Amino acid sequence: MNTHEAIHRNIRARCHSSQLRGSTFVRPRAFRQSLLILVLCLLTSPAVRSADTSDGVDYQRDIQPLLAQKCGACHGALKQQAGLRLDAGVLIRQGSDNGAVMVPGRAADSTVIQKVTAKHADERMPPEGEGTALKAHEIALLKSWINAGAAAPADELIPADPREHWSYLVPQRPPVPALDDTNWSQPVDAFIKREHQRLGLTAVEPADPHTLLRRVYLDLIGLPPTQQQLQAFINANDMSSDTWQQVVDDLLESPHYGERWGRHWMDVWRYSDWDGYKQQLRGSQRHIWRWRDWIVQSLNADKGYDRMIIEMLAADEVAPNAPELLPATGFLARNFHKSNRNIWLDATVEHTAKAFLGMTLNCARCHDHKFDPIAQTAYYQFRAIFEPHNVRTDQVPGQPDVAKDGLPRAYDANLAAKTFLYLQGNDKRPDEDHPLTPAVPAVLGGHFNVQPVELPIESYFPSLVAFVEQEQIDAAQKALAKVTKQSSIRAESAEQKTTSDTQLQELKRSVAELRLKSLVARFAADRSKVVGNDAETSRLARDAASAERQLNVAQADLVVAQKQASVGKAESQEEADEKKKQAAMAAVRKELADAITKQKTTRDASTKTDDKYSPTGKEYPHTSSGRRLALARWIANKANPLTARVLVNHIWLRHFGKPLVDNVFDFGLRSAKPRHVELLDWLAVELMENDWSMKHLHRLIVTSRTWRMASTATEAGASDNRTIDRDNDFLWRMNFRRMDAEIIRDNVLAVSGQLDTTMGGADIDYNKGEETRRRSIYLRHAYEKQMTMLVLFDAASPNECYRRSESIIPQQALALLNSTLSLSQSRLLAPELWQTASTDQSPQESFIRSAFLQILSRPPANNELAACQQFLTRQSATLADTSELNTFVGGKAPRVNPATDSHQRARENLVQVLMNHNDFVTVR
Amino acid sequence: MNAGSPAAQFPISPSSRRRAFLQDMGLGFGSVALASMLDREASGAESGRAQNGDRTSFAPKAKNVIWLFMIGGASHMESFDPKPALTRYAGRTIDETPFGEVLKSPFLDNERVVAFDPNNGFVRNTCYPLQVGYHRRGDSGLEISDWWPHVGDCADDLCLVRSMWTEDSNHGAQLQFHTGRHRADGFFPTIGSWVNYGLGSLNDNLPEFMVLGTPLADCCGGREAHRANYLGPQYDGVPLKVDPQNSMPYLSPEQGVFVEEQRQQLDLLRQLNQFTSNKNPDDTAILARIRAYELAFHMQMTVPHVVDLNNETQETQDRYGLNQKQTKTFGRQMLTARRLVENGVRFVQVYHGSSGGAGRWDAHKGLKKGHSTVCGEVDQPIGALLKDLKERGLLDQTIVVWASEFGRTPGSQHSDGRDHHPYGFTVWMAGGGVKGGIAHGATDELGFHAVENRHYVSDIHATLLHQLGLEPHRLAIPGHKRLEREVGTPIQDVIA
Repeated sequence: MNTHEAIHRNIRARCHSSQLRGSTFVRPRAFRQSLLILVLCLLTSPAVRSADTSDGVDYQRDIQPLLAQKCGACHGALKQQAGLRLDAGVLIRQGSDNGAVMVPGRAADSTVIQKVTAKHADERMPPEGEGTALKAHEIALLKSWINAGAAAPADELIPADPREHWSYLVPQRPPVPALDDTNWSQPVDAFIKREHQRLGLTAVEPADPHTLLRRVYLDLIGLPPTQQQLQAFINANDMSSDTWQQVVDDLLESPHYGERWGRHWMDVWRYSDWDGYKQQLRGSQRHIWRWRDWIVQSLNADKGYDRMIIEMLAADEVAPNAPELLPATGFLARNFHKSNRNIWLDATVEHTAKAFLGMTLNCARCHDHKFDPIAQTAYYQFRAIFEPHNVRTDQVPGQPDVAKDGLPRAYDANLAAKTFLYLQGNDKRPDEDHPLTPAVPAVLGGHFNVQPVELPIESYFPSLVAFVEQEQIDAAQKALAKVTKQSSIRAESAEQKTTSDTQLQELKRSVAELRLKSLVARFAADRSKVVGNDAETSRLARDAASAERQLNVAQADLVVAQKQASVGKAESQEEADEKKKQAAMAAVRKELADAITKQKTTRDASTKTDDKYSPTGKEYPHTSSGRRLALARWIANKANPLTARVLVNHIWLRHFGKPLVDNVFDFGLRSAKPRHVELLDWLAVELMENDWSMKHLHRLIVTSRTWRMASTATEAGASDNRTIDRDNDFLWRMNFRRMDAEIIRDNVLAVSGQLDTTMGGADIDYNKGEETRRRSIYLRHAYEKQMTMLVLFDAASPNECYRRSESIIPQQALALLNSTLSLSQSRLLAPELWQTASTDQSPQESFIRSAFLQILSRPPANNELAACQQFLTRQSATLADTSELNTFVGGKAPRVNPATDSHQRARENLVQVLMNHNDFVTVR
Repeated sequence: MNAGSPAAQFPISPSSRRRAFLQDMGLGFGSVALASMLDREASGAESGRAQNGDRTSFAPKAKNVIWLFMIGGASHMESFDPKPALTRYAGRTIDETPFGEVLKSPFLDNERVVAFDPNNGFVRNTCYPLQVGYHRRGDSGLEISDWWPHVGDCADDLCLVRSMWTEDSNHGAQLQFHTGRHRADGFFPTIGSWVNYGLGSLNDNLPEFMVLGTPLADCCGGREAHRANYLGPQYDGVPLKVDPQNSMPYLSPEQGVFVEEQRQQLDLLRQLNQFTSNKNPDDTAILARIRAYELAFHMQMTVPHVVDLNNETQETQDRYGLNQKQTKTFGRQMLTARRLVENGVRFVQVYHGSSGGAGRWDAHKGLKKGHSTVCGEVDQPIGALLKDLKERGLLDQTIVVWASEFGRTPGSQHSDGRDHHPYGFTVWMAGGGVKGGIAHGATDELGFHAVENRHYVSDIHATLLHQLGLEPHRLAIPGHKRLEREVGTPIQDVIA
């Protein structure tokens, strides 16, 4: 083998291994190298000039990957520290701003060698924290290569400027391919079909009507069609686009649409109910379900996605007086972390960027991003947007105690808060000499324009919201009326009253009266403070202070009178044990003495004339920084290249089971241009030009021929398809998907007719998941607080879940076989179905058909029917005499008992089998 | 049946009518699962591994791991790392000893705090004397404290690593010991899940990775310490209670369901799923689901038997301490751990010392009373496990690891306790091709810093994986970068 061949073999071998890596094993660094190697593979072999040297050092094999790994992040296409690039032979020769870094043939005189071998850490490359020093054999390779003349292929590809990365350019609407097939003329279809034609794929036929109807119901509302809905659709026997359009429109108008898609967005936006140890709040917020309800309602109303982003990031700035919109900021409130503000803000930065922008900004926390053009400073400037914000719970009508109910929301608490870069991400090392201003990553362009927002009174002084004042005054009035009524009853009562009794009652009435008066005065003073003139405010404050002092005196008087009464009572108490009596009396006398002391101080204070009173509530900053609103407007903007694309990709994933861009939260340089980039861009522009309407996208997608394909390929063409595209990357058939955890539970309840469709409200204890019949979206969902069955079926981790997994584990089988939920629902459904079927000519067959339609939304095939008939016969025979049968160890008492009749019990068993059927949990 | 096969080791009481019945059931389900099971039995467990997603890179020296985790932070100087200097200088400040330089060590910078705790997590300055005596044990003469007499009996099988360090000075270090990552970095696959992911199945009746004892509290990582995170839930540890009546969620149906009734349901289900599979050749999930249902059925039959310790002789039960109140709970878990390993479970993770919070090994005050109690709960059962495994010839292929999230301060806290100490502490391994009777690495005279052959917690992970034939870099998942520190390095010096 000559040298030439050896090199070609070498390259081929590595092309092969890098492809393998691409699918099975990739550490990011390796992946980057493999991309370069792939590029080299594309070069025609004769063009690759031998770069082997007499020492056996090969540039492409030994030097290029080494430099890429050790130097690439700072001396490459992304960044050119000192104007130096080391990512191509020709660029290495060009040197840096300071001149040549390499003298071919003379390694010892080459700056690059001096740098990597420097003894002192602060001179050596790569710098500390950016990578480990080169090992001896690596230095030796580099030296040999330079000494041998530093040869590199003349046609080596120079890596492109990352700012030209496909996803960083604003999407333009590509022309829809003009095809002659009218069945595939809808834009989504035309893009897909063009690829089919290019690759020689044959699209499979549309799914049968049963499959299709179930698919569209589960996709859009997460519930199956009823037998009546199914029958009506089948009977109509009309697959025209108008009929289908109507089905789709009806489902999109269903309130269950918001519940179904709400759960998807709760995954992406990291919904979490409050998390904590016992009653201590550690993460997220209590009552954050109001954000969940806002999500569901916004989706049902088809609120534009742009508007949703603005409300989630900045409802308090854009709509400070709209209590129905403020829950949207649960997106921020959810990041609350009791013990550490840095973790809190890191999560805010990381997930705002991942959810809306598909950007891994978090990789730039400790150092400049290794792949994307994001400097470490950019990370902290993004953090600065959130630096002033905090979370509070506002009162809601009807509940003065915010521990019981309230509205958790974001607001800017500290406008002066400074942001510093943490050196190497270490919060012990803030770079305090350089406070950072808020900014967004420059590579995405657009305008980030911060305008401080003047807030309305109700926002910065929430106790002055009309209902809060009204409720407090109403309560005080009610208390006064009650005590007044008691006084008058007592006065009228024939019974003789002691003076002290009457006196006590009068004091109580007086306290109630003064409390009302003081409350009114304090509200007046507080209000004047924010709207009145100085003189008026000063007068009202003095009035409020005076009223409060009077109240304090009356309260102190009342306490003294009460303690006096207690002393009297203790003295007259029959008590055999003299010691006990003395102790009890000493105790109450002590209390009386304390009360008298308090009374004296209060009375002394009552002669004051100052204006110090207790405000009616907390006052917050009158201005909000406007930073989050500026961010929201920059994200929810047609000029932002990522926002719409990221959303389209998430929606596509949830309709097809596979996204268009593989990594749904990273559209950066590690995300190669997707196969269907034109389709993605077309949909992104379509979304933006239709007021960011998600329903518009859903409609486009589920009415497409593509989406309506069968997931099963039995046609002759299928084997060719499998050869060309085994993984169905080009959608020649529909993908089948496993139902999401919540949908499995909801469907068990739905098919048995037991689902409670009540919407909204406080989260339900996750331990009650087998008892409550509400939809799963309403069960508590927080760290360590999730229903076991849902967790087993891959429910979202509350911490992060941009994409669900679809595992198949035996515990899932156990849950569907053995849970109270599955057993009781099958025992409830079987008699219902039998009641109708039993009157039929062949009741058993009719029962089986009905069970299939009810549970799987399709009729049984003949072999299925036969198997089920055989089962019913055999099972009822087995169950006819249970004396010899074995029972399981353990188990709870049944909620719904099995039928005593063996035939009925066999039918219950059959129903349960169908709830365990592969196709029950599959969207086919 | 092949005598070495897992099924043959499956302990069922011969008198049980269920045994014959089980076999009938097993033979009744013709398809995939049975085929693979028979195949495996015919050719031994090794070939079974190859069929079931084995990702080993070289020949393994061990097959199983039993991972014992003491929650709260066990004192290294009162267990496996004697520091007579503490007794000598008791009452003096560290500065007043000849070893004051420990307070200036750059190793102190390794500490990473998440939540500043004003009460705990400080360097304590006043030397606190050893609270327990030490004896040399075994032929090797390893020094082991008197709170560990039974484990001490096995000294010649122990490989003490006395030079561990970690980052978190609070109990988030519990999670860190399982993932190799600081609590603040988030959740990552745990050592058990990597083993589960890397190795194939040894059996058809049980999951590969099972968890005994009450897990960590949510302060300190909670169930994430036995989860697989991005590897996928199929690699999560499956919690198991040593209670035949209630060993796993949903393991048994509600009362009144008959085994034969459910078996026939499953037969129909398999038949129907097979029809669906035939119609949908592209859908391989169906076959996986058919297998999952078969494994589920076998788990329901097997698990209650594995956790039914009445099948063990009285002698064995006594040996594990099942007859004493103090040792009963952990003894049952140790005996179950052995039974799980015998039945082909790859990784058994056992937690001890759950308190709903930091853990019962936490010893800020009353160390002597607290530690003598918790040591008393685990010492005899662990000793019994080591001896039992050895007698059964299982210790060669099973690595037992004893660990805790960190050690405790050389200085005193609240006059009779010790604070958290991430800078130097001890863990030990036994069996599975690890050298016995050795102490590797060392802390300084005060037990403050690991100074000789320092090991971060993930070096233990790397050592286990190495013994199991796994190369961690080759297990990496695209898109999930692992830090070198997270992966660790096998401790070559301790490998036999």
